[in-house]
Amino acid sequence: MTHLETIEQKVQEEFKQYKEMLMICTGTGCVTVKSFNVRDKLSEEIKAKGLEKDYLIVPTGCYGFCAAGPIIVVQPEGIFYQKVKEEDVKEIVEEHLINGKPVERLMYRDPVSGEINEKIEDIKFFTKQKLIALRNKGLIDPENIEHYISRGGYREIRKILEENNPEGVINEIIASGIRGRGGGGFPTGVKWQLCRKAAIEKKETPTVICNGLDRTVIETDPHSVIEGMMIGAFATGAQEGFIYIRKEFAFAIKRLEKALAQARKYGFLGDNILNKNFKFDINIHLSAGAFVCGESSALMASMSGRVAEPKSKYIHNVERGFRDKPALLNNVETWANIPVIIEKGAKWFASIGTGDISDNPLKGSSGTKIFSLTGKLNNTGLAEVPMGTTLREIIYDIGGGIPGGKKFKAVQIGGPSGGCIPESLLDIKVDFDTLTEAGTIMGSGNMVVMDETACMVDVARYFVNFLKDESCGKCTPCREGLYALNNILTGICNGEGKEEDMKFLEELSETIQETSFCQLGATSPNPVLSTIRYFRDEYEKHIREKKCPAGVCKALISYSILEDKCIGCTMCAKKCPVNAITGENKKVHVLDKIKCIKCGICYDVCPVDAVERI
Amino acid sequence: MAEKIQISINDKIVKVNKDTYLLDAVKKAGFGIPTLCYHKDLTPDGNCRLCTCEIEIKGRRKFVTACNYPIRDEIRVFTDSKRVKEHRKLLIEMYLGRWPEVPIIQKIAKRLGVTESRFKSSVTDDNPAACILCGRCVRACKEFMLEEILGFAGRGIKRHMTMPFYEVDPHCIGCTSCAYVCPTGAIKIVDDLNNPFDPVMIRNHGMKINAEMATLDKIQNRMREVGTANIVDVMNAYDLLPVHNYKFGSHPETYKIDSKMLKAKYFTQGMADGCWKGCSMACAKTVDGFRLKTGPYRGQLVSVDGPEYETAAGAANMGCFDGDFLVEFNFYCDTYGIDTISAATTIAFVMEAFEAGIITEKHTGGLKLNFGALREVLELLHQMAEGKGFGVDVGQGIRWLRKKWVKEYGADEKFLCDISTESKGLEISEYMTKESLAQQAGYGLANKGPQHDEAWLIFMDMVNNQLPTFEDKAEALYYFPLWRTLFGLMGLCKIIWNDIVPANNKFEKEAAKIPEHVNNYFKFFEGMTGKELNEQKMLLQSARVYNLQRIMNLMLGFGTREHDTMPYRAKGPVTKEEYVSRAERYDKQLKEILGVDPEGKSTEEKMAILRKYREEQYEKVTDAVFKRRGWTKNGVPTIERLKELGIDLPELIEIIKNHQE
Repeated sequence: MTHLETIEQKVQEEFKQYKEMLMICTGTGCVTVKSFNVRDKLSEEIKAKGLEKDYLIVPTGCYGFCAAGPIIVVQPEGIFYQKVKEEDVKEIVEEHLINGKPVERLMYRDPVSGEINEKIEDIKFFTKQKLIALRNKGLIDPENIEHYISRGGYREIRKILEENNPEGVINEIIASGIRGRGGGGFPTGVKWQLCRKAAIEKKETPTVICNGLDRTVIETDPHSVIEGMMIGAFATGAQEGFIYIRKEFAFAIKRLEKALAQARKYGFLGDNILNKNFKFDINIHLSAGAFVCGESSALMASMSGRVAEPKSKYIHNVERGFRDKPALLNNVETWANIPVIIEKGAKWFASIGTGDISDNPLKGSSGTKIFSLTGKLNNTGLAEVPMGTTLREIIYDIGGGIPGGKKFKAVQIGGPSGGCIPESLLDIKVDFDTLTEAGTIMGSGNMVVMDETACMVDVARYFVNFLKDESCGKCTPCREGLYALNNILTGICNGEGKEEDMKFLEELSETIQETSFCQLGATSPNPVLSTIRYFRDEYEKHIREKKCPAGVCKALISYSILEDKCIGCTMCAKKCPVNAITGENKKVHVLDKIKCIKCGICYDVCPVDAVERI
Repeated sequence: MAEKIQISINDKIVKVNKDTYLLDAVKKAGFGIPTLCYHKDLTPDGNCRLCTCEIEIKGRRKFVTACNYPIRDEIRVFTDSKRVKEHRKLLIEMYLGRWPEVPIIQKIAKRLGVTESRFKSSVTDDNPAACILCGRCVRACKEFMLEEILGFAGRGIKRHMTMPFYEVDPHCIGCTSCAYVCPTGAIKIVDDLNNPFDPVMIRNHGMKINAEMATLDKIQNRMREVGTANIVDVMNAYDLLPVHNYKFGSHPETYKIDSKMLKAKYFTQGMADGCWKGCSMACAKTVDGFRLKTGPYRGQLVSVDGPEYETAAGAANMGCFDGDFLVEFNFYCDTYGIDTISAATTIAFVMEAFEAGIITEKHTGGLKLNFGALREVLELLHQMAEGKGFGVDVGQGIRWLRKKWVKEYGADEKFLCDISTESKGLEISEYMTKESLAQQAGYGLANKGPQHDEAWLIFMDMVNNQLPTFEDKAEALYYFPLWRTLFGLMGLCKIIWNDIVPANNKFEKEAAKIPEHVNNYFKFFEGMTGKELNEQKMLLQSARVYNLQRIMNLMLGFGTREHDTMPYRAKGPVTKEEYVSRAERYDKQLKEILGVDPEGKSTEEKMAILRKYREEQYEKVTDAVFKRRGWTKNGVPTIERLKELGIDLPELIEIIKNHQE
């Protein structure tokens, strides 16, 4: 039997042999900006200087700070280097490692204060976070099971196998108040309980499934997901697990395959796990991926080799799911939380977050949530924050605010079918129920921040256009309704909006919301309803005045050159892709409105703001 | 009894069984809701959303589709609330915008008061027979035919119905189920096969059968799921499963070969299989990837077709309660071309003789052929096929063995006759007939020997007690063999006649005949030939064939009463062991039927009384049946009967004339 404590000791002793460890981020984001090359260069350089006995290079999972990649953190010092290129490596080795002088020019500069943050613990992007699911991020090599064990891994499954009290485990999960991180927010423990009950009543063995559509956790700490699934399997009596993951997530899959092989080798998967007569193994299911696969029943249909279409959930998957047997599906982030809940207890977990869940698990949101921060933000990336953190903290402290001195306009939360939240609501606490009240969803935890240059009608059109193509087409309201919504919104953006469109949009959205077959349909009008709710005037301007205040909708804007301002620099004429601008050097230019395709390049390049957009 | 749940529908209180679909409850309560994708014979899909209702559950209001919402809680239902009406109107408006000319859509729109649509767009389709994506055809293909030839492709507005890769799927046999359920006529039928007289008549009755198979099998027999193996469980429960050469009717180890075990451990493919493509019953089953342990293919992975009931029951008859054995026995019988019933019954007979000491290892070539001797049975089977050793003898069947053993080994002929489970030289098929006189005669009086395909009356006679008098039994033994002759004449399977019965069959006057299903066959005949068929005509044409068969029996030396006997093992307890094992039942019969007090009598005495009674009964029922069939007391068709049937041909009269009374 594998002795966890022995492994932990071994790893720690190994680490102690080194002066310092160079943690280099090998999450997908950093890898795309060549962090593997940096790693190889680093290793080469260290060897060349004969320092390999003093410095250990550890390729880590994603730090989440994708805007700053590739990242190197020198531990235990905590010196944080960002945007490291191959040619920077030599300097780091020579200046920092040999001469003991950290390289300032590679350090992070706070976008607001302009101060240099030398260490990782100085950077607001990290300090405002609380890590549970991503507790090992940047601290371990995700491809080394011993690193996971050295951080306390696989202790919790051992504990619960020794205690042998599956109901106890479920009660603990219920008491923790954790709700599904996949977006729906159903109390995880209650789901486990229903699954166990159905399995016992029907005398069937359930299957545990991990929706791996969010790859970060898998890339960062795959064993935390495996251990979580083991605990779920033990609690519900499952013997087989699946991780459903998109085929194009090559890194995550590779790491997962390695992790599963190691877990098998170390005896955490297979028969008679930890000599406790517990049998469990996990398969990887590679998916072709479709937005609708976020719907659990469609995911299971896809796993069965069928077209990803949802099934009626009046009889839930925990009772009749994959292979028509009880199936326990949780999102990858939920699974990664489980071992920590078992380790630190339900009380501790419930103390983080909002609401009082003591009598009803639906009356609060406990724990943390990982958000993906994108759009007009200085610090784009992934951040795990306690439930109840305000939007303002997430956007301004962690996200570093809006770049280019632009004004914040809205944040769209929860993925394509999320709603847009305006500035007036920036102080709401982010949790399941508050977001729902505000007209959006927790969904995938995606946040798209938009600045003043965004047209909210166009934003709604953009998402609805995406959703109408992702609708599986099974049910009428989602298929026909989204198509119609898109037509109306496109019409409004094209200046063909009619007075009655607003009412029709609302009426249609409500019917789609309330009669759609699955959650894709039910949530799909959120971008429309939320933008109407918070930005009604923009719609009205589009429809009544045929104006797009943000200057995005091409049909509603026109460009012209202000004679009194134009200095005849020829910049606009040179850049115009359709030669719609003519004019001689140092003379006023003229824009041909018929030729103009309204790309806005002239507007952007004019050094004296002589191009006008109306 | 199903759990009852009280719900209110538009404030009307009704009680429904748990898991009843809301739509059924709503209809039963007398309310109407529009439906489009719903079809009574198909699993509800809930894709059109028109049947959306508002419910209040645990204080919360929500919208559900009635067609597929199973009632599990005490809910309040509002089928016509303001919100529901608004949603429904908008939904049908969507349909009306996309397919404005489709009559069923116009009809529903009119009913809901919608005349104009704001949903006209570039995808509006003016075809009155457009596909409206309800998916009934997809479900019919899957549920009726167990095929998935039709399916949807494309997401969102691009969704459309098609066959895989946009090619005409060669698996489509043109069953027309899809067209039958299509609400718009989008699927056209082109009749170009066999030129039947009335294809619509055939189709309508065929579709009825398909629907019954899809909806009733799962609650009646589960034959799509486990094939005929489901009968193992039933027979064991009713003490009718042949065990140890028909000594007993059940065994504690039956679970090792019953349908649950076969399904859990053996049947592969996870789906129904059919004898021919297009069968909607599809009761054939397969065990794939089975590794053989014996014989010429030892060690190889094979696919085994089966096991069916009779093969599994044959294993029970040999006392071989072992799944692996059953599948291997099945495989080799099939491969060698040996009937599993004859093989199992013969070997069971050999086993009893071996255990009774009539034959020993000296005769069997060293094989210890006790009941349950798995390895030895397979070895014997291989010997039979290879023409080696003891297998040469056993391969000749029970009648031959009995004669040899009496003649050469001086065996007790009377005992051997009693346990020789054959008649007319054919081994008895795998049902216990001891407690059903009608079934004994069903076996004994069958033209081709004691198999179950001519008259299977055990349940009617013994379990349901529908044939109390000799006349009733005689009538059944007149009607059913003639009715079942029709299957042979038409070349149609009988499974769709009586294995699944219509939901309301029990209310029929002659329920045992399953009149609605009999009518299906008549309509198939009529639809094919243009000639009407009814019971009288059917009986006439079958009786001609049946009587001809009887005359052929006579020509071959098997056509008289002495050949219609059954061994006593099929009629009652031969051994003390058998009597004692069911003493309570037999004692009760002595007391209640014969008025004999079993008290103070030895088992031998009681057995003798019972035997005398049962053998007389058999003779009486034989008399009654012959009379009903228009045969002489010796079992030969009378000349009058041939005249009646219009087959009084001189060459036939010539054969029977010396056998008239």
